[in-house]
Amino acid sequence: MARFQILENVRLRGDYFRVVFSAPEIAAAARAGQFVHVRIDERRDHVLRRPFSIHDADPAAGSITLIYKRVGSGTALLAEKAAGSCCDLLGPLGTAFTPAPEGVVPVAVAGGYGAAATYMLVRSCARKPVLLIGARNRDELILDDVYRAAGCDVRVATDDGGCGVKGRVTELVEPLLAENPGKKFFFYGCGPRPMLAALGRKLRELHRDGELSVDEIMCCGVGACFGCVVKINDPDAEKGWSYARSCVEGPVFPLEKIYLEK
Amino acid sequence: MADLSTSFASLELKNPVTTASGTCGYGLEYANFYDLKKLGAVIVKGIRMTPSDGNPMPRVCEVTGGMINAIGLQGPGVDAFLHDDHYLPALKKSGATVFVNIWGTSIGEYADVAAALDAGSDGISALEVNISCPNVKAGGAAFGTDGKLAAQVVRAVRGATRLPVIVKLSPNVADIAEFGRIAEAEGADAISLINTLGAMAIDIETRRPKIANVTGGLSGPAVKPVAIRMVYQCFRAVKVPILGMGGISCGADAVEFMLAGATAVSVGTANFTDPLLPLNVISFLDEYLDRHRIKSVRELVGAMEQ
Ligand SMILES: Cc1cc2nc3c(=O)[nH]c(=O)nc-3n(C[C@H](O)[C@H](O)[C@H](O)COP(=O)(O)OP(=O)(O)OC[C@H]3O[C@@H](n4cnc5c(N)ncnc54)[C@H](O)[C@@H]3O)c2cc1C
Ligand SMILES: Cc1cc2nc3c(=O)[nH]c(=O)nc-3n(C[C@H](O)[C@H](O)[C@H](O)COP(=O)(O)O)c2cc1C
Ligand code: FES
Repeated sequence: MARFQILENVRLRGDYFRVVFSAPEIAAAARAGQFVHVRIDERRDHVLRRPFSIHDADPAAGSITLIYKRVGSGTALLAEKAAGSCCDLLGPLGTAFTPAPEGVVPVAVAGGYGAAATYMLVRSCARKPVLLIGARNRDELILDDVYRAAGCDVRVATDDGGCGVKGRVTELVEPLLAENPGKKFFFYGCGPRPMLAALGRKLRELHRDGELSVDEIMCCGVGACFGCVVKINDPDAEKGWSYARSCVEGPVFPLEKIYLEK
Repeated sequence: MADLSTSFASLELKNPVTTASGTCGYGLEYANFYDLKKLGAVIVKGIRMTPSDGNPMPRVCEVTGGMINAIGLQGPGVDAFLHDDHYLPALKKSGATVFVNIWGTSIGEYADVAAALDAGSDGISALEVNISCPNVKAGGAAFGTDGKLAAQVVRAVRGATRLPVIVKLSPNVADIAEFGRIAEAEGADAISLINTLGAMAIDIETRRPKIANVTGGLSGPAVKPVAIRMVYQCFRAVKVPILGMGGISCGADAVEFMLAGATAVSVGTANFTDPLLPLNVISFLDEYLDRHRIKSVRELVGAMEQ
């Protein structure tokens, strides 16, 4: 398989890291919301690749950047890799966010490393997205500085109130709408399942449109195994939903397609 | 260049390397990576009469040297498979040799699926009958672990199709050779083994099972020694050819299966690790045969020395 060299692999804070790969073809093709499927090491005890959102792509430099949290054996292994070593990447895979056109305010709503997936919207949308970002505490907050440096309006919510507003990221939605009466918004959600469900419900209540990027465990990453499915609304199905593969039909789904459990 | 072509059941295969059912989709999922014609055969995921949802999520988890799955046979059903553009019609266009894996929740359904595929058999080279999936409460497990039921399924499918019938055995039995003999006696043209081993894993932090179905099937390198043993036992018990699988993750593993008695092999879980693995296995076989001055891959079958 193709080997992709690590140009940089550094700690951002706590368990969060940034890794840059030399990957010209992926960089040229990547769009916001897509992911790469990473075989971190050729260890036989790891049979599955690990999916990571493409945080940024630089077609001129031929490089892509991922932001990852060390949570288990694979990401721990990745954190130990030095610049110059290689991983095997498949990608870019999956569906992408639809860039908001002129006249529409793009709003990224992110939990944890979810903000990694929405960053390329900074360049693909007609105007700079607003970032609503939630984290458990100050130490778990990442990328707010990167979005600010790119000229985005960044609003923070933390569970403990250590930074920004105390509360959930979804609570930042209504104040934003209230400040901008009559404006058109398009929301991009990326984060853990409970956050996405809460965001989905809130946006429906408020009659706002958007797209959600789901985070499910994956095996093949290319639609072959049915290991990564999510429920999507399906009027033809008796139950009202059917399963879609999040690696090829997602990870980005239009909000109206996502089936929200009652 | 050694001769990699081989005879399997009544078929002539380009080489003995296939991709295992459930790990290579229903169509062209891997066609972006290589020309599917390069494989001995593509074995599509299990098909039944009607579309089925499969199990709730999470459906998979990784364990040391393998994975557990309880996908629960999500699929489009036989009609959609035969007629929707991206399934069989796409495979046909690709020129791939296609084996179709089938299952049912009753003996009648097995026969119906076999008959439906027989009628639409243009583009299908063989049926692989999954009597061994451990995931579907309504059927699979019982058929593959009860000798009488297994015999009835094979008889019903045999009677419903002219296509070569490969019976896929469950490893979750005390004596796998017995099931090999049953399949052969009921008219199977070949047997394939192993399907996944009944397995389970628990998240100790949440105390919840790692997959929603609680139990699932183990696959990947961890199961290979068990699979080799079972292929060896079946090879000594039956005359029909064996399609060997279970944990193949490199060319050497495939050679090991053939030495134990497999005429052809399937790459399963390893497709997830490396989509190009089936091609690596093919080139390794070629190199191995040359290195050992063996003219044809057929000479490897059951050639273990004792
Ligand atoms: C589309 C997509 C994009 C993602 N983007 C990012 C990102 O930008 N940054 C980031 O830090 N993480 C991201 N993740 C989550 C990331 O894939 C997991 O954190 C990672 O696989 C954990 O691997 P591990 O070996 O360290 O953990 P372990 O817990 O040891 O992994 C065991 C198995 O579970 C899987 N797994 C564990 N947690 C998750 C999870 N949250 N989602 C999916 N699979 C999981 C692993 O892939 C592996 O197969 C993304 C997941 C998906 C599906
Ligand atoms: C995700 C997954 C789905 C599977 N689906 C099927 C299936 O639909 N029908 C079947 O007969 N076997 C199915 N299998 C079993 C494989 O075809 C194979 O027998 C088994 O995984 C052992 O080989 P491996 O270790 O190389 O994966 C599946 C296996 C996996 C991992
Ligand atoms: S990960 Fe295999 S179908 Fe999505």
